[in-house]
Amino acid sequence: MSKIEISGLTRRFGNITALDGVTLNIDEGRIVGLLGPNGSGKTTLLKIMNGLLTPTEGSIRINGFEPGIETHKIVAFLPDRNALPDYMSTDKLIRLYQDFFEDFDRTRAEAMIDDLGIDRSQELKKMSKGTKEKLQLCLVMARDAEVYLLDEPIGGVDPATRDYILRTIISNYNENAVVIISTHLIADIESVLDDVIFIREGKIILHEQADTIREEKGANIDQLFREVFRC
Amino acid sequence: MLGKLLKYEIPALGRKLVPLFIAWAATAVMIGILVGPAQAKSSFMMILSVLIYIVVGTAIFVMTVIMIIQRYKNSLLGDEAYFNMVLPVSASAHIANKLISALIWIILTAVTAFLTVLIITSFDQGFLDFNIDWKALFESLNAKTVVAGLEWILIFLASFTKTVMQIYTAITIGHQAKQHVTLMSIGAYIGILIAEGLVSRLLLAVFPAMFRTSVNSFEDARIILLPALATVLIFSAVYFFICKFLMEKKLNL
Repeated sequence: MSKIEISGLTRRFGNITALDGVTLNIDEGRIVGLLGPNGSGKTTLLKIMNGLLTPTEGSIRINGFEPGIETHKIVAFLPDRNALPDYMSTDKLIRLYQDFFEDFDRTRAEAMIDDLGIDRSQELKKMSKGTKEKLQLCLVMARDAEVYLLDEPIGGVDPATRDYILRTIISNYNENAVVIISTHLIADIESVLDDVIFIREGKIILHEQADTIREEKGANIDQLFREVFRC
Repeated sequence: MLGKLLKYEIPALGRKLVPLFIAWAATAVMIGILVGPAQAKSSFMMILSVLIYIVVGTAIFVMTVIMIIQRYKNSLLGDEAYFNMVLPVSASAHIANKLISALIWIILTAVTAFLTVLIITSFDQGFLDFNIDWKALFESLNAKTVVAGLEWILIFLASFTKTVMQIYTAITIGHQAKQHVTLMSIGAYIGILIAEGLVSRLLLAVFPAMFRTSVNSFEDARIILLPALATVLIFSAVYFFICKFLMEKKLNL
C-alpha cells in the first residue's frame, strides 16, 4: 500500500475543471516535486489532500484514511498564504502547535527559529512577509510528520534563506515520510527531489523519478519543464 | 480538544471586546459624574447623557455581534482556516468552540451592561433615578420566582444559541458560493428565517395547546416556556448539524 493513493480525482468549479481524473500513488521515503505553471491545479490538489476542499469525483487516501482527523494527525501542511493568527507572537504560536500536534518537536522549532534570527517575542502582524513565511515553514517542519505538503515554500524568501529551507526540509524529514513540494521555482529545488510530477490543466502529464528523467531524457528537470510548458 | 480550542478562542475575542467594555465602563463613570446630584432631572446634560449611554451601549452590542461573526468567518472559512481546519479536531468541536465562546462573550456583554447601570446609579440619584432597594428585592424572592427567573435565563441563552447558530449556518451556506459570499450569506440568512417561520407556524397549527400565547398563572407561563425552550433547542441542533455537514462534506476553501 502506498502512503498516498489518489484515484480518478476530479474537481470542478462551475464550468472549470481544476483537476481532471488525477490518479497517483506516492510511496514513503520520497521527496516529490509537484510542478506546473500557475493555475495548473497544484494548490487544488494539495487542498483536497488536506480536506480543505472536497473532490467532485474520485478518492484520496493517506495512510489508508480519507482526509480528516486521522490524516491531520500525520500530515504537516504549509499553505500558500499566512494562515496563523497574526496577533500571536512566535512563542505563543510554538505553544499553539505544541498543544495541538503530538508530533511537534519544540526544541527543533526553537532551533530553526533562532537560526533564522526570528524574534520570538514579536507578533506575527509586525513581521515582514518573508519572515512570516519562514516562521510558518519552521513550525511545519518541526513536526515529526509522516507526510509534508508544502505549497510554494520558497516563493517569497531570499536565495540564502531558500538554501536554508531546502537543507531544513532534507535534514528534518524522516526517511519514512513523504514530502510533496509544490512550486514553479524548479531550479532551486531540483537537487533535493527524488520524484517529479508535472501537472497541466488539472492532468498529470508526467510522474517519474528525477534520476530517470536526467538519464533518459538527457536534460535536467528545469530544462524539461521549460520544454514541456513552453508558451 | 474542545478545551484546547476554547483556551485560544476566548482570549481571541476578548482582546477586541475587553477594551470596548472598559470604554463602556469609562463612559458610565463620565455619565455618573455629569448627571450627579447637582444636576436637575430635566437638564440638557441628563438627556445628552441618556443619549450617549444608549448610543455607546448599542454600538458595543453591535460590535460584539460583528466580532463574533468575523471570528467564525475568518478562522473557519477565511485564511486562518488553512491552519484551523487541518488541526486534528472534528468539525463539531470547531463549531461548539465558536458557539460557546460567542455565548460567553454575549453573557459578559450583558453583565457589563448591568455593571454600567450600577456605576451610573452609584453616583446617587442621577441617571434615571435608579434607587434600587436590594434588600427588598432579595426579600421578595421565593422558590417560585427563582425557578421562573432561571427558566427565563435558560430560554434567553437558548434563544441566543439559536440566533448565533442561524448566523453561523447562513455564513457557512453563503461560503459555498465562489463569488458574492457576503450577499449569499445574507440571502441564506433570510431563507433560514423564512423556513423557520414556516416550521413554527406548522408547529402552532399542529400543537396549538402547547404554544398558547395568553398566560393566566405562573403554571401557565411554564407550560408556554418549556415547549418554546424545546423548540428553540431543536432548531439550534438542526443548524449545528447543517454547519457540521457542510464543513465535513462540502468545505470550499
